[in-house]
Amino acid sequence: MADSVDPALTSSSASASVPAQPASTIANPPSQQTQNLPIRESKSAKSPAPSDNQSSKNKDASKPAAAFSDAAAAAGTDKPLTPAELKKKAKAEKAARRAKEKLAKEAGGAGAAGGSAPGAIQSRPPATPKKDAAGGASQKGQKAAQPRRGSAPTGQTAADEPTKKEDKSVAVFGHLYGQPRRTTIAGAGKEVHSAVLALGLQLRDYVVCGSSARCVATLLAFKRVIESYTTPLGTSLSRHLTTHLSHQITYLSTCRPLSISQGNAIRALKLAIASVDPSTPELSAKATLCEFIDNFIREKITVADQVIAQSAAQKVQNGDVIVTFAGSSIVKQTLLTAHKQGKRFRVSIIDSRPLFEGKNLARALANAGLDVQYSLVHGISHAIKDATKVFLGAHAMTSNGRLYSRVGTALVAMSAKERAGGVEVPVIVCCETVKFTDRVALDSIVVNEIADADELVSAQPLQQVTGLVDPEAPTKPDNKKGGKGASSAPKPDPSASLNPSPSPLSNWKDNRNLQLLNIMYDVTPAEYVDMVVTEMGSLPPSAVPIVHRMSTNL
Amino acid sequence: MPSTSLALTPGLGSFLKSLKTHPVETSIENLISLLKRRQIRHSRSCATATAYLLRHVVSVCKTSDPLKLIERVQTVGRRLVAAQPREMVVGNVVRRVLGLIRDEAEDDHEAEFALSEAGSESQPQTPRAFDDPSSSLPLDRDMLSLRAEGAERSSSRPTLHSMFSLLSHPEAEFSPISTPGTQSPNGRMPGHGPGSKDVKAEVLEGIGEIIDELGQVDDQIASYALEHIHSNEIILTHTSSTTVQKFLLKAATKRKFTVIHAESFPNNHENTHATVSGNPLGDDDELSAEAFQKPLIALGITVILIPDSAVFALMSRVNKVILGTHSVLANGGLVAAAGTRVIARAAKVHQTPVVVVSGVYKLSPVYPFDFDSLIEYGDASKVLPYEDGDLVDQIDVQNPNYDYVPAELVDLYITNLGGHAPSYLYRIVSDHYRKEDISF
Repeated sequence: MADSVDPALTSSSASASVPAQPASTIANPPSQQTQNLPIRESKSAKSPAPSDNQSSKNKDASKPAAAFSDAAAAAGTDKPLTPAELKKKAKAEKAARRAKEKLAKEAGGAGAAGGSAPGAIQSRPPATPKKDAAGGASQKGQKAAQPRRGSAPTGQTAADEPTKKEDKSVAVFGHLYGQPRRTTIAGAGKEVHSAVLALGLQLRDYVVCGSSARCVATLLAFKRVIESYTTPLGTSLSRHLTTHLSHQITYLSTCRPLSISQGNAIRALKLAIASVDPSTPELSAKATLCEFIDNFIREKITVADQVIAQSAAQKVQNGDVIVTFAGSSIVKQTLLTAHKQGKRFRVSIIDSRPLFEGKNLARALANAGLDVQYSLVHGISHAIKDATKVFLGAHAMTSNGRLYSRVGTALVAMSAKERAGGVEVPVIVCCETVKFTDRVALDSIVVNEIADADELVSAQPLQQVTGLVDPEAPTKPDNKKGGKGASSAPKPDPSASLNPSPSPLSNWKDNRNLQLLNIMYDVTPAEYVDMVVTEMGSLPPSAVPIVHRMSTNL
Repeated sequence: MPSTSLALTPGLGSFLKSLKTHPVETSIENLISLLKRRQIRHSRSCATATAYLLRHVVSVCKTSDPLKLIERVQTVGRRLVAAQPREMVVGNVVRRVLGLIRDEAEDDHEAEFALSEAGSESQPQTPRAFDDPSSSLPLDRDMLSLRAEGAERSSSRPTLHSMFSLLSHPEAEFSPISTPGTQSPNGRMPGHGPGSKDVKAEVLEGIGEIIDELGQVDDQIASYALEHIHSNEIILTHTSSTTVQKFLLKAATKRKFTVIHAESFPNNHENTHATVSGNPLGDDDELSAEAFQKPLIALGITVILIPDSAVFALMSRVNKVILGTHSVLANGGLVAAAGTRVIARAAKVHQTPVVVVSGVYKLSPVYPFDFDSLIEYGDASKVLPYEDGDLVDQIDVQNPNYDYVPAELVDLYITNLGGHAPSYLYRIVSDHYRKEDISF
């Protein structure tokens, strides 16, 4: 869906920009946060600290030190460790991390790292010499809470307040709530690479959004992890790298549940790691793996997209009216390809709250000179009236042929199939095979993702973060320079000035019995889908499990 | 705008206030401009304003000749309808007033005839003069037998038969008992001389009844709530409709259930949010009466607010869909807030019953031959705000206000008269509007 790999790409290719990325996202919150939560002032006062720490960490991440020096620090000075000792150490480390995470969570992201069992932590990062003082402080600094949606302040202040009064989770979806999404990078394991840390935040804020974009960004981040990885003594790359990666994966999944494509890519990567011959020298093994990642991205996504766009564009004919929902990158590519082929057609984009992903698609298509019509979910029946084809993107295709995609897709597909006139509009799904899964889904409730309900509160359409210059960006350095800037002039909230009367929902959490539900996906029945265009050809939805088996057995 | 109402926001309240002080022609112009500017929007507000205006028009009308009255109401009605053809309730109220005048005029004539006939008539017709709704049982039986007798005899008196059928309901002759109930000629018979004066009074009274009906319709509909909502039910509704809210509130006093509320972004989401949370919008005085209403959550009903896009995902868990409407058409279809159609479709796909609650005044004798003419498009900036001005220049932004929902997607209508199948609505239409007024 809405794609913007760019921030991720830049952050992972230019190493210098990486520390800046998280730092800038961190720099924002203090001012906003302190307005309503004075508890955090102590942390935000230290906001300059994290960037230093971040960059230093980043520097030494490039040295082949991280995990190795971990071990060295733990075992004092004697280098050789028995496997048993190693295991014990790893266990202790894990326990410490768990404890710390738990503590951090209890404090509502308000840090408490400094207080957590110092003995356990001592075995950790050699980069910060004085554990309790400096380490704790810097950890706390990073902990300054983020506004949701990254750098676009939304003026929703009730968001982070701990709600003890009432469970606001919708009963039917109780199983999906689980842990709240990570709000900060605090409590992230020391092993987590800075590129992954940054990616996690971008995923959480929908800066990197859309199944393929998330997949590509994750792989690129993992590539950097592998590049900066050194096998600790006493173990082999193929055995240890997998566990090292799983730390990164755990972190990512706490930021936002992993997408099917991410899961598939990770599975493939782990398989590749496991198949590395233990006798291969580390350098060449790493090179092989990096090459594998590049190939994977190229074959499964970049080239696949081109193939799909080419073949789907053939389905577009002159005079067509094409309806699409939200902002799928592959649909965008398809339509642009068809346009380049000189076909004349109209596109009708249907968009939805709260992400408004279709806006970017509309902008891209309009800039390319297409004839674009834009409306929201309430206009589906009007948009579909004169439609001749429906193109949809996918988050995943399940094994029972159903389409798992952005919530609202099913409504569009249904409208296309049940027009009063009895004429059926063909529904074409564009989907790379990397998004196929062997999971099955009957309804949209068992498998889904719950996003933060507060996203629904602001009546003003949220500013789309992707691809837009953040108006707050220039103010950030000042804020930081003002140092201890926690108490410095509170930033004027742009959304507040735009919308003088607060939304009636602004303190919905205080209203008993009122619940807001913001699900991310829905499942479109297979009978609404006429064709799935993949890089392996165009199939009926019933062929999904077969193709999935073929592509995973390769 | 009249100077007295300058302080007020133009709307229903200010209009009703100005009605008393202003000449009728100004008031008509006033309502026309309010309708044109969409300052009176909701179906009920439009209906109320029209009814009050027509009452005013009739009361100041100098003539009391029914035909002239009809003509006068027709002219005013045409102008109002032309001002805002999509507010069909305006036409409905005009039609009902016209029907009222016609009924009264006919009653009048009939009474006249009845009187003269009674004078010339011999034996068999006499019980008619005594018949009275409060007649005791023996009399009833007596009359039943008489009726049978009359039926037998009717063939033998062809002239009388044709005379009656000319001017009254076809069955009037055979069921004399029903006469007093439906037409109440008794009271007027003695004072027949200034009968035409009475026509006006009766019409004004009738319009008063319409106004009362408009005031009570929601409560009347709500009284059926317990017949339709069972315990622990999950009910989905869309946008903020007072009728639906009152319906649910009534049920909430007795039963516990869950309400899923789709917010109908972007045209009415603020009102919806206000409705579900019970925090009234500060700036909207039009809805102030509703603002005093308790929200459902205060009665312990769990309300789940969802974006419109999540309707399909949740529909499999919904037991019933209850929708409000803008107007109901004679074929059983309805014109309702945009987004209703997909919701009704999703319900159909999931075999979930769709219940539409609507006052009878929204029922229009219109057949939707041209759907597009029923749909109104609204403010595009609600879909794409001004901050995206660059984009607005390049693309075509659409914001439909209404959806046409075909009758086959609706399972049940609940009006203030009870529950009806969509296929039955045409009967109610013919009960409420007279043929000659359908296109006045």
